[in-house]
Amino acid sequence: MNRVAAAAVLAVVALIVAACSSASSSSDSSEAAQPHADGARASHDVHGDSHGDSAGDSAGDSAGDSPVDQGRPVGNPNGAFRYDGAMFATRCAYSHSAPDDPIVAPGRPGESHLHDFFGNPAVDADSTARELVGVRETTCDIVDDTASYWSPALIGPAGPIPPAFADAYYRVAPGVPAATVRPYPVGLAMIGGDAHAEAPQPTSIAGWGCGHAPAVASDFPTCPPERLLTLRVTFPDCWDGEHLDSITHKDHVVYSTADGCPEGFPVAFSQLTLLVQYPVHGESAGLSIAAGPARAAHADFLNAWQPDALATNVRACLAGGVVCSVPTTSGS
Amino acid sequence: MQLVRGLGVGVVVIALFALTGCSSGSSDGGDGGASRGVVHVPADYDTIQDAVDVAEPGDLVLVAPGTYREAVTVETPNIVIRGEDRAKTILDGDFELENGVRVVGAGGVVVENMTAQNYTANGFFWTGADGYRGSYLTAIRNGDYGLYAFESVNGIFEHSYASGSPDAGFYIGGCFPCDAVIDDVTSEWNGIGYSGTNSGGDLYIVDSVFRENRVGMVPNSGTYEPCFPERETTIVGNRVYANNNGENDAIDVAQTALGNGILLAGAVANVVERNQVWDHEITGIGLVPLPEDDPQPVASDSLADCEEAAPADVTDVAEGDLPATVFWPASDNRVVGNEVSESGLADLGLEMIGTTPTPDGGNCFSDNVVTTTAPTDLQAKAPCGATASGDFTEGAFDVGVLIAREKPDVVPYEDVDLPDPGSQPNMPNAKTAKARPQRGAPHYPDLASIVLPDKTTS
Repeated sequence: MNRVAAAAVLAVVALIVAACSSASSSSDSSEAAQPHADGARASHDVHGDSHGDSAGDSAGDSAGDSPVDQGRPVGNPNGAFRYDGAMFATRCAYSHSAPDDPIVAPGRPGESHLHDFFGNPAVDADSTARELVGVRETTCDIVDDTASYWSPALIGPAGPIPPAFADAYYRVAPGVPAATVRPYPVGLAMIGGDAHAEAPQPTSIAGWGCGHAPAVASDFPTCPPERLLTLRVTFPDCWDGEHLDSITHKDHVVYSTADGCPEGFPVAFSQLTLLVQYPVHGESAGLSIAAGPARAAHADFLNAWQPDALATNVRACLAGGVVCSVPTTSGS
Repeated sequence: MQLVRGLGVGVVVIALFALTGCSSGSSDGGDGGASRGVVHVPADYDTIQDAVDVAEPGDLVLVAPGTYREAVTVETPNIVIRGEDRAKTILDGDFELENGVRVVGAGGVVVENMTAQNYTANGFFWTGADGYRGSYLTAIRNGDYGLYAFESVNGIFEHSYASGSPDAGFYIGGCFPCDAVIDDVTSEWNGIGYSGTNSGGDLYIVDSVFRENRVGMVPNSGTYEPCFPERETTIVGNRVYANNNGENDAIDVAQTALGNGILLAGAVANVVERNQVWDHEITGIGLVPLPEDDPQPVASDSLADCEEAAPADVTDVAEGDLPATVFWPASDNRVVGNEVSESGLADLGLEMIGTTPTPDGGNCFSDNVVTTTAPTDLQAKAPCGATASGDFTEGAFDVGVLIAREKPDVVPYEDVDLPDPGSQPNMPNAKTAKARPQRGAPHYPDLASIVLPDKTTS
């Protein structure tokens, strides 16, 4: 798979670790005590609180009766997919950052908090989905994924920390009959998570993790070097069938439940989960996001896929029950 | 009939009549692959996709010479897509389209006698297919794989050629038992000649050539795909040589493994026998453990049928106990009767660091014609059919050499100056042979009849 998926990440280090493995692997090394922004940003000293045990986590992880807690999302990106079957997925390289938001602040460049963009590189505050479809460019491995994904910038002590990439997973939520899933209409706008959350959000919708480990927390975790910090956001998958967007940017779509899509939202979509990875590990104190604290985790999606290709993938892969692609490191 | 796209109504109606006429005839019932209708491209339909969309199981989509700039998705089982001329029926992605032909969940689909080039992902790709065959195919300069089968079983890749992919020219992964054969293929100038993650079980790779890739053949394991670990692949009668090529594109693993012929990386219970292997900067045949960073946790009650042996440290462990890295050992492999020469580090190499309580890992080496091994005297220390003994630290395989050395930078696959594929054979009687969908297990090779090939590059 790669691609599939396939052999990419693995032997990479194959021999590497073998070569170095006389020293045991590194999760307990002293290095892990430092936060690292591998890449352009300097690491910084930190102190104090680690993560994970906050009241927020327990609140976020608790099972509830609201639709979002009933079996959402499908599983942890990658982990459960292998066994649950159908999906298509793509890795999208980081494109650019800008204080723009074509959903929340259309036509008002510079009026948003800083966002990191993935997918269509042409997106800005003035973009429309139709324009983006026409641009037909992308940072995603699936070349027909010319949609735009964005998330608030991660801020370290030295400033914004550009992400490495975002993996976009398209699957069918349990309870939703796969044969009923439809492709997103061009221009569908969705936000997963709440930029204004004053309390921890359900981590089934938005939260932070390390690599592909299953744990998702409302606060930043302390990640080992082999599992870098990830933002994970799952988007709604039921649509009112009418509005591409709404005043709240949320009222036109909801999350499915174990019984499928609720009344008033007759159209089932695939469930999009976005995993954004940052070149960051170690203690997390001093980190925030442009939207505020960690609990304000969220991401946006503006559908500008090439329509035929999206329709084919939804039908052939999701309704067909097939793994069509998994995110992989690209070749070059 | 399925969806028809992009044609005028009149043409469609005419074509449908024509198709109905030829596909309503009774199937001949012969050899399990009855030929039904024939849909001609571009005579009946302008595009291969349109022809594929109207084809019914058993039909042949016969494509005339020409360059077709499309990415074909196949969802109908048991159809055969065939070019009339392998070198002149060309699918071209122009570096803008994803796959030449992608078969999604449709069993029995055969693609043969054509070329796919310049796709951003794969030349020819089957996923979720029970029954597949790629014959007389040429895949050149595609961004991931040349010929690629994922989570598919009962398949054949044969008489085919792949070059210029950063990942593998040929790949079969995520299946056990795979029930598949790779026979008479040539793979050159790829990152990896052959790669198979978590595949095996009646998987035979025979009578083929893997040359001038970064690394020749790499069966390997990982938790991120089903059916781990890689096991029980049989590699017999191949010529594997000069896989030191630094002038091509390569995924990270291919870059790391540059200069190895057959590298069993975290691979289990494979048979490597009667292969001619020569001219490699590191090892001719190397067995190494494979570390996997950021492994997926494995719940034993959720394992698919094909999964049998995940590493204990990722199976049913609590989140806090999930390691950041797991090691897949190379174990219980048989390396027998190969001729290996001109290796920079060792003709045979075995590295078991940290993965096994025994120095040999259950791997054995016998009757190979070699000059150098690491550890030294490896065939005496770990012979097949006898207990391992001796000092495995003497002349140990220093994989640090692999890591530390300078490697040539990758060249973007779009820009690699590839060799001419030469005159690749056409499928016999391509215009007239009836369609033969691939149903059931392939015909397996007669291993006993396969002899050690000569050390020749022709």
